[in-house]
Amino acid sequence: MRHLVIRRVIQTLLIMLTVSALLFAVFDSDQFRKKIAVAELGNFGAATLSDSDYQAWIVSKGLDQSFPARYVTWLNHVVHGDLGVSIEKDVAVSTLLKESLSSTAVLAFYVFLIMIPVSLMLGVLAGMKEGSILDRVISVIAVFTTSIPQIATAALLTVVLALGLRWVPTKSAMIDGFSFRELLLPLLTILIYEIGYLVRMTRSAMADVMSSQYIRTALLKGLPYRQVVLKHALRNALVVPVTLILLELTGLLSQVVVVEVFFQYHGFGRMLFDAANFGDIQVIQAATLVAVCVAVASQLLSDIAYVLLNPRLRVA
Amino acid sequence: MNVDNDREHPLIPEAREQLTHGLMDRREFIRLATLLGVAASSAYAIAGVTGPAMAGDNLPFPAVDPKAKRGGKLRIGQTVGRMHDPATYAWNEMSNQTRPMLEYLTMVGPDNVVRPMLVDWWKPSADLKTWILHVRPGVMWHNGDELTADHVAWNIRRWADPALGSSNLGLSTFVALTELTGAKDAKGKALRRQLPNGVEVLDRHTLRLNLSQPVLSVAEDCGEYCTLVLHPSFVAPLSKHPIGTGPYTLAELRVGERCILKRITHMTNGQPFHYWGGEVFLDEIHFYNYTLENATAALASGSVDATYELTVEQLELAQSLPGVQILSVPTAQTLCCRMQVDVKPFDDIRVRRAIVKAADNAAIKQLVFGDHGQVANNCHVAPIHPECFPLPPVVRDVAGAKRLLKEAGYAHGLDVTISVGNNDGPWQQAVCEALRDQVKEAGINLSVDVMPEQRFWEVWNKVPFGATSWAHRPLGTMALAQAYRSGASWNETHYSDPAFDQALSEAEASINVAERKIKMQKVEQILQDAALMVQPFWRPVFSLASSRVHGYQPHPARQIQLNKVWMS
Amino acid sequence: MNALIQQTREHRRSWMTPAQLIGALLLIVWVPLMAYVMFHQALGIAAPYVLLPSVPAVLALYVMAIYHWRESWVAVLGVTLVCFWLLVAVTVPYLPLLDPNKPLVPLALPGALKHGMSFMLGSDMRGRDVLSRTLWGCQRVLVWGITATSVAYVVGVGLGLIGGYLSGWWDEAVTFVGNVLLSFPVMVLFILVLNVLGQSGFNIIIAVTFSSAPIIMRIVRGLAMQEKSRDYIQAAQTRGESALWIMVMELLPNIRGPLIVDACLRLGYTTVAITTLTFLGLGLQPPDPDWGLMIKEAAPVALLWKYSYMLLVPSLAVTSLILGFNLTADGLREMSQRD
Repeated sequence: MRHLVIRRVIQTLLIMLTVSALLFAVFDSDQFRKKIAVAELGNFGAATLSDSDYQAWIVSKGLDQSFPARYVTWLNHVVHGDLGVSIEKDVAVSTLLKESLSSTAVLAFYVFLIMIPVSLMLGVLAGMKEGSILDRVISVIAVFTTSIPQIATAALLTVVLALGLRWVPTKSAMIDGFSFRELLLPLLTILIYEIGYLVRMTRSAMADVMSSQYIRTALLKGLPYRQVVLKHALRNALVVPVTLILLELTGLLSQVVVVEVFFQYHGFGRMLFDAANFGDIQVIQAATLVAVCVAVASQLLSDIAYVLLNPRLRVA
Repeated sequence: MNVDNDREHPLIPEAREQLTHGLMDRREFIRLATLLGVAASSAYAIAGVTGPAMAGDNLPFPAVDPKAKRGGKLRIGQTVGRMHDPATYAWNEMSNQTRPMLEYLTMVGPDNVVRPMLVDWWKPSADLKTWILHVRPGVMWHNGDELTADHVAWNIRRWADPALGSSNLGLSTFVALTELTGAKDAKGKALRRQLPNGVEVLDRHTLRLNLSQPVLSVAEDCGEYCTLVLHPSFVAPLSKHPIGTGPYTLAELRVGERCILKRITHMTNGQPFHYWGGEVFLDEIHFYNYTLENATAALASGSVDATYELTVEQLELAQSLPGVQILSVPTAQTLCCRMQVDVKPFDDIRVRRAIVKAADNAAIKQLVFGDHGQVANNCHVAPIHPECFPLPPVVRDVAGAKRLLKEAGYAHGLDVTISVGNNDGPWQQAVCEALRDQVKEAGINLSVDVMPEQRFWEVWNKVPFGATSWAHRPLGTMALAQAYRSGASWNETHYSDPAFDQALSEAEASINVAERKIKMQKVEQILQDAALMVQPFWRPVFSLASSRVHGYQPHPARQIQLNKVWMS
Repeated sequence: MNALIQQTREHRRSWMTPAQLIGALLLIVWVPLMAYVMFHQALGIAAPYVLLPSVPAVLALYVMAIYHWRESWVAVLGVTLVCFWLLVAVTVPYLPLLDPNKPLVPLALPGALKHGMSFMLGSDMRGRDVLSRTLWGCQRVLVWGITATSVAYVVGVGLGLIGGYLSGWWDEAVTFVGNVLLSFPVMVLFILVLNVLGQSGFNIIIAVTFSSAPIIMRIVRGLAMQEKSRDYIQAAQTRGESALWIMVMELLPNIRGPLIVDACLRLGYTTVAITTLTFLGLGLQPPDPDWGLMIKEAAPVALLWKYSYMLLVPSLAVTSLILGFNLTADGLREMSQRD
């Protein structure tokens, strides 16, 4: 058990190192450097940047050193929390990240708050009696909601809830501070897909357990159905969904891009998207690093959770 | 303030003469008189028409609405950009954010007439090479200093400094404050340096510009979006140390999110602040980051009170929104589907003429803007420009186009591609698609390459055939000088014709309107005959405001001016 | 699923096995479609005719699929939806539709009859027929989606076989590369790849490969490891077959069941990805219609109930296609579990 965790932690660190090297190498070209130089030297465009100014800037930034040396310097800055400055927004990248991540965290908090109980309950109900009417209804709806792309969900929800019924505003820029009404559309858009997905996974895990030998035996032995489900089946059936919920942290970082851009919500996804469009290199690098960090951390957590929760593995 | 005779330009009496004899219409007289230094109100008076009501004599702002109420905040939906250095702003929205705080030397009004702002009068010499600017007395900076000629000179010298890289160096006035060094840079572009004695301070409030060539548009140039006047203590970014002369100051800026400006009551030295321009009504001005696509939705759900621009696709939608006013103004904004004259197959003028002949400008305008906007003549001078000579409308001639193609050796059809970036909205793509359908009848297969905006700006002046949107300029010669003079900085067609350059320079140097119009006829005709572009229309600019907002005027250059705007 | 495999074994001696037949039919559908959409200019005057052989091929595929999968209504429903759009994709040039890119009458409501043209599903803000754009739109989505998924599959299966069958250092290396790629959230990876490489259909293929191939690799690797110890592999090894032969000709056919299920799911994901990327302005560029673009263009305009058809139609179209892929996958999985 401990051995496994240590091995995974080392793997994770190796991955982070590789990703950081990749990120550094990709943006380590003249084209991208010129962009930063132009921004820092305050010129109108790359065309007016004189060669001598550029060379002087490169030397002053220590960019004339060898690639490994530059990488180590950069990594050192990053590890010490110096993520550079956004050339688009004139703000330290770390400030930007802090603000956008906290907005996204609020969204994510509500997503998990609603998604976990709802989808586990529906999934268990459906999986308990495979093939029942309830199972069919829940499964069909779940397949349907996982088949709607989020741009379509977002558009349809806007039409119905914001423009048709006028219950919520069309956009979620939160210009007068936080408002739950404005959060509703992005939240629903994410939930509709996520709940469907988690319900399907929970249902199939539950159905597997219910058809397993020991549950059948328990039922045959005459133990009450309620007790069998609550005490024996659930425990085993929830292992997979719980690990998946942890993995969904990564999935969420993908989904917030579309949702935040559509609803103009100022979060992590939108920041990354804007930075990529503008070519705000240091923001792209930092945001990607953070995203990868969250992703590998959630993978690690989900692996550990799997080991902890799975009785058979724990003994072994 | 009236113009006394000793400051009146020698050409004014002549122009007045022409007006009385019907050689010049009233609108032209007003335009000419104002740009030569006559106060707009006086010019309207001389011309015998009522001008738009103004806040006061010699003030650039509209008249105060007697019902106007003080207080409230106005929320505007537009892209919120960084406020680094106003002289190098990349987009107009940035200057909108700055305009309540920093001001121009002159202001071009919604009627395309220039009026004095931080300078209260100007006077050119007869040859248009020497201009006297008089700085308005009693204008205070937010730090307690008084605005002086030295401050203004510092700004003008800065705009004309090639090392700064300001887009102001595309304006004739500031070009005329530089000279060629004779050297060339690595890319073969001629280097320029500032004239040693270009800007002279005569006394505390007066300065003189000694230009290297005659320039008619000094007043207009001083109201362009990158010419906001800074305090000489300026260090970039502006958002960190904002000092201006306007009635508001920056309270909060979050790029891509919000920009909040608040009314100034006290200067930083503790004294109460008196704004030179009279009463302003709004307490706060908020800009919230909504792109063109999202701003209308934001207004519909009450998140903002006004928008920067309404795209023509949303017009129908906007008309069905309750409690909303749709505002529009004619402009000299346009789309030039232009061809590079030194790239195959466009190096053959027969090919260019064939494309131009196969296009139906009026039909494109009708399709994209319906009854709004004006049909253009492929010569990049708009009816709203005072010096515009109305050429007869261009006529579509498909048979002629086919004949020309055959002569050029493309009897079996021609395949070309036009690049478009949709940077001002998807209507640009609609124009290219309409063009594609029209030229098809002449046997030209036009494919439309729609690029992401960012990528388009990397190649806009490099693609052989591209649709470039050109912003509004108060005078027609301003765009011509930037885009079609040999070797001009934004000459995207690579067009070079000494006859055109000569004709344009002559037109630029002449103030006699009857004469200048005839000169413009030659300029426009040469350009039209060169068949450089299909330039189908002058587009209107629309914007939206809630009915609670009063006095929100759309501007042909989309400059938002809020001094007399109030909320009910 | 197993029914299919059994059939394959029974017919081994005939001139063409059903599996080969299906493969051939798929090629007849996909190659002309790809040529038509990606290389339209190069086809020249042949362009109007290339899709003709695909029409019977789609129909034949559909008949075979519902015959084999008749026991699962889920799979039949799914394959019906997918084949409907495939059929639309190959027949749309021959249908009596208005020009999808030509502005005719702006904002005609569904069912409107204007200037002698009927707009069954209305027209958009630029006056283009929504029905025509929706039907034409499926071409781009299907072609780029299928192509991107196929490329991801070739790469993923190749790497998975190498990792699973060869093991050792090969396995370590392949797994590590996969782990690195999987550590990026998908959309972050897409944004990064498309911004560094530029925005085009071909770069979407690369982006999808980066994100999907590692997952396919993991699945194949696991299956290959299980299968490696089987008798038939050992027999082939004793016969002295090369590793390449064993991996492609022996191993691969025996693990294709789960792969087909995964491929159906993945086609769905790729479709979502392509429409989303177009919506974000990172993917395929206008003017040719596709569903993501239609939603992108309609989103700022269709802000009133009466105009919502502009959003509704492409949204339902893309949902039905993805639903088709998902249902097919579900049905196949159900059938494989039942046997």
